[in-house]
Amino acid sequence: MKKHLQVIGMVCPFPLVEAEQAMRELSPGQELVIDFDCTQATESLPRWAVKHGHQVVSFEQTGDAQWQITIRKGAAG
Amino acid sequence: MFAKIGLGLLCGIVLGFVLQRGRFCVVSAYRDVILVKDNRMFIAVLIAIAVQSIGVYALAGLGLIQLTDVPFTWLGAIVGGFVFGWGIVLAGGCATGTWYRAGEGLLGSWIALFAYMLGTVATKSGVLKPAHDALTRHKGGDAFIYTTLGISPWVLILLFAALVSLIVWRHLRQPALVVPTLKPRKSGLAHLLFEKRWHPFVTALLVGIIAIAAWPMSEATGRMFGLGITTPSGNLLRYITTGDATYLDWAVFLVLGIALGSYIAAKGSGEFRWRLPDVKTIRHNFVGGLLMGFGASIAGGCTIGNGLVNTSLFTWQGWVATLFIIAGTWSATYVVIMRGRRKETAGAAPGQTAPLSM
Repeated sequence: MKKHLQVIGMVCPFPLVEAEQAMRELSPGQELVIDFDCTQATESLPRWAVKHGHQVVSFEQTGDAQWQITIRKGAAG
Repeated sequence: MFAKIGLGLLCGIVLGFVLQRGRFCVVSAYRDVILVKDNRMFIAVLIAIAVQSIGVYALAGLGLIQLTDVPFTWLGAIVGGFVFGWGIVLAGGCATGTWYRAGEGLLGSWIALFAYMLGTVATKSGVLKPAHDALTRHKGGDAFIYTTLGISPWVLILLFAALVSLIVWRHLRQPALVVPTLKPRKSGLAHLLFEKRWHPFVTALLVGIIAIAAWPMSEATGRMFGLGITTPSGNLLRYITTGDATYLDWAVFLVLGIALGSYIAAKGSGEFRWRLPDVKTIRHNFVGGLLMGFGASIAGGCTIGNGLVNTSLFTWQGWVATLFIIAGTWSATYVVIMRGRRKETAGAAPGQTAPLSM
């Protein structure tokens, strides 16, 4: 199962706060797709993911100031 | 006037560019220490202070710049710092952060910025001036910490620099996280300036150097201080509403330059877009901006004036105000962000997540 998190319009730190919450509802191996447009989150989201043992499956810019990242939940998280 | 415009804009544009590309944000530096247990940006802020203190006291020692006394209004530093700390969490950015996010096209930051200017003018010369006067009436003895201790400023500068070096060394010794980045689409200088992720410590070094350069640039126009955001933000509103050009000093062009530099950086990196937040964020941004203006005016500076410049001068005002800005930031982060999140979890609100069928 993939879960989709739409945080367009949310400024930091809320994309990260929402991602943490959404990730808690997933089991290891499941993926979280996040659409976001807070520039600072291009730094904080992948960093948070790696720090918590998750895996960044894909990370790309989808438009001007708009990004999508897919994170697979790690065993520990 | 030409020097004010030219030097102010130049310093501002470079600073805005560096802040945007380096994602340098003082509120996140303070906030993330407790919110995500990440102190990397906090260390970066310490680097910027250390670099600036060495540079500024070196320039002053050579007689190239003049340092003016910063009065220690302790009650103002405590109350104002704390209120400002709440303001920047609600506004989603510190003083420079709000200016550079405005340059990225975030309309919420424009709202925060307007409220910040309004709060500043209201507190410094408007309806809230009695509160300002009451809170800044009590003055402490010495302006500089080293005067009280009866030592040379260089003792503090070198001790602080040694401490920061130790913290940086310990941080860099840990195995680095391999964080995935976006696929590069540019190369060479364009990649470096408009795409590459900058290490916060490199950004901090650049911010420190710009903060040093700000001193002679500003003093060349008769303004005897380094970087400052709050007073010029208020002065910009005063100029707009009165047409009185005496409000236009070097620092007004500095803050305008920050927005412009950030716009250039964001536009060049494909990171500019007009963005509108939700209603709750807009409300927070407006209230946060007002608190920022009030708090910074009472404390005699924001996260830059106090948090970066007055700390590097080793003034009592700078360090006391900064400690209380941090206290305000942490308590606001706890009450507004962390406790709010826990409440939501308890209520099992679905939030904005929706499962996608695959």
